[in-house]
Amino acid sequence: MNKKNASTQLPTINVIPKKKRIRLSYKKQKVVMGIVFLLPWIIGFIFLFAVPFIESFRYSFYELTPKSGEIIKVFIGLDNYVYAFNEHVARNTSFKVELINTTLDALINLPVLLIFSLFIAVMLNMEFKGRAIVRAIFFIPVILNSAAVASALGGGDAIASLLEAQGIDKIFDLEFYLLQTGMSEWLITFIVGLIDRIYTILSLAGVPILLFLASIQSVPKYLYEAAKIEGATSYETFWLITLPNVTPHLVTVTVYALVDTFLTSSVSDIISDELNHQNWGLSSAMAWVYVGTIIVMLVSLGLLAKGLKIGGSHYEE
Amino acid sequence: MKNKLFNKLKLMYENIYENLTNPRNVMVRSKKSKEIIMVVLRNVLLFGLCFVILFPTIQQISMALRAPEDVNNPAVVWIPLHWSLMNLKIAAVVLDYKNALLNTIKISVISMFLQILSTSLAGYAFARLKFKGSNILFIFVILTIIIPPQALSLQQYLYFKDLGLIGNELSIYLMSGLGMGIRSGIFIYIFRQFFRGLPKELEESAQIDGAGVFRTFWNVMLPNARGALVTVGLFAFVWAWNDAYYVKIFEVSTSDFPLLTMRLINAAEGMYAALFYTGGLDLIGQDVWENPLFLSLISNVAALLMMLPLLIMYLFVQKQFVESIERTGIVG
Repeated sequence: MNKKNASTQLPTINVIPKKKRIRLSYKKQKVVMGIVFLLPWIIGFIFLFAVPFIESFRYSFYELTPKSGEIIKVFIGLDNYVYAFNEHVARNTSFKVELINTTLDALINLPVLLIFSLFIAVMLNMEFKGRAIVRAIFFIPVILNSAAVASALGGGDAIASLLEAQGIDKIFDLEFYLLQTGMSEWLITFIVGLIDRIYTILSLAGVPILLFLASIQSVPKYLYEAAKIEGATSYETFWLITLPNVTPHLVTVTVYALVDTFLTSSVSDIISDELNHQNWGLSSAMAWVYVGTIIVMLVSLGLLAKGLKIGGSHYEE
Repeated sequence: MKNKLFNKLKLMYENIYENLTNPRNVMVRSKKSKEIIMVVLRNVLLFGLCFVILFPTIQQISMALRAPEDVNNPAVVWIPLHWSLMNLKIAAVVLDYKNALLNTIKISVISMFLQILSTSLAGYAFARLKFKGSNILFIFVILTIIIPPQALSLQQYLYFKDLGLIGNELSIYLMSGLGMGIRSGIFIYIFRQFFRGLPKELEESAQIDGAGVFRTFWNVMLPNARGALVTVGLFAFVWAWNDAYYVKIFEVSTSDFPLLTMRLINAAEGMYAALFYTGGLDLIGQDVWENPLFLSLISNVAALLMMLPLLIMYLFVQKQFVESIERTGIVG
């Protein structure tokens, strides 16, 4: 304790030697301060992450029932997992169905999301009038992306069913207007589907666009200048300069996008629902299935990236 | 006369023909037309997407400004027939807006500062104050990003129950202060990448001038990390504002301490009951509140009321935020 206190003192030149403080070398000071800086995080990590994480693994094999201030634990082996996969039903869906859907969605949407956000990031990086405004608008979905707002916009289940009973879906029904213009039906379904999804993609793409934009801007400017002098078109500069320089950060963006997709998916909603209904053992088991799925996906993506040699920097290091 | 005209026309034609076939001109033209097509495409796409982003908000604003009676009028789509702030008033009553807003601002601001403090310290330690095993610890940071909060909530709930912090905002502050708040892992990552990108000379010169490690961090490194601070601060604030998960698990939102997110969710799930209990029904006639469209309209307006402060705040920080991306090496 004494050591730590001393190290926070500033080693100024006119320190009076009489006081005899234990003075550490700067290197040692750095180590001690490193631990001090990390202390809040370490405490939080142990008590609010590591222990709960392991405990929830243990709980996933128990049936937990709350009873007058304490929790009764009964060991039931793998029953929670079996139940989650075979019997679980929530509203009009089940855990298994949602898990498979989310995984497939993530696998299909991830490349789309990456390409889309890189494309938008490249565009937002160009010089044009009103760029600042457009950029600011593109990050609005990140800010407004909240479960509360989404549920309010959906109008809640009660209102939605009421409206459906009356045959009114939305106040502004795009499909209805398009049908009136006399377009063929599949085209309308396609357009409406795309527009419905654009907002979801945009709200997921906010942070990836941000990361890509930062990544593009960290590319040395002289590369672009040299390419311009050599007469490269913007198409060529994208493939030969922007893309190779961005690939090292592809892994970061992919991990973020994957985790985000799962966090906002219906799977995590089901788990929170079970948690709130005090089916604690079941929700722990589900959470562990979720964790297992996401780790398997990340590891296989990591192996894929290693196999394709994505992730190493293109020029330096 | 005719011949003269013909000759003139022929000359003109030849001129134009030569102009068209001249390889240099062809090049210039094709480049120019490509550029124009690019610009048009880009503008259509970007401004189209901007419209898609802004559309729901514009729609909500239009809804907020119409009189409740207009709900029954199918002719009103965009522009209200009767302008009125009644919907806003009713939605504000439903949300208990004044109290809920103040509480939400309080909880967001405090947890934002706590999160910035804990994650910047940790990020700096991971970037510059390395010791044996700090790389292993950093792998754990990545783990905290990946693991969903649902896997941890039960035990966290039991902890806070033992401490008597359930139903108390302190539980949220404790999580933020100990670097386990909403997506703290990502913030630590951003700070680490950023501090790693700052030149080593900064630290060395501070050391030579006699600054200790903490002083170097506080007076030299942190002011230079403005970009990362703005980014992390904005995200921390916004995510705390929008958070409905932790607030629900730790039962922070009570009738004495209402929070916008929980009020909004509860209202959206049972709008009629919410209107009834808060006395919102007395503000309008029966013919209006019997219409389910009106209930949906109020929940839309309530959502707008929740987002509005964020949008206004974003309007002010937006410039710094966008600039901060430019200057940071968030990605390193």
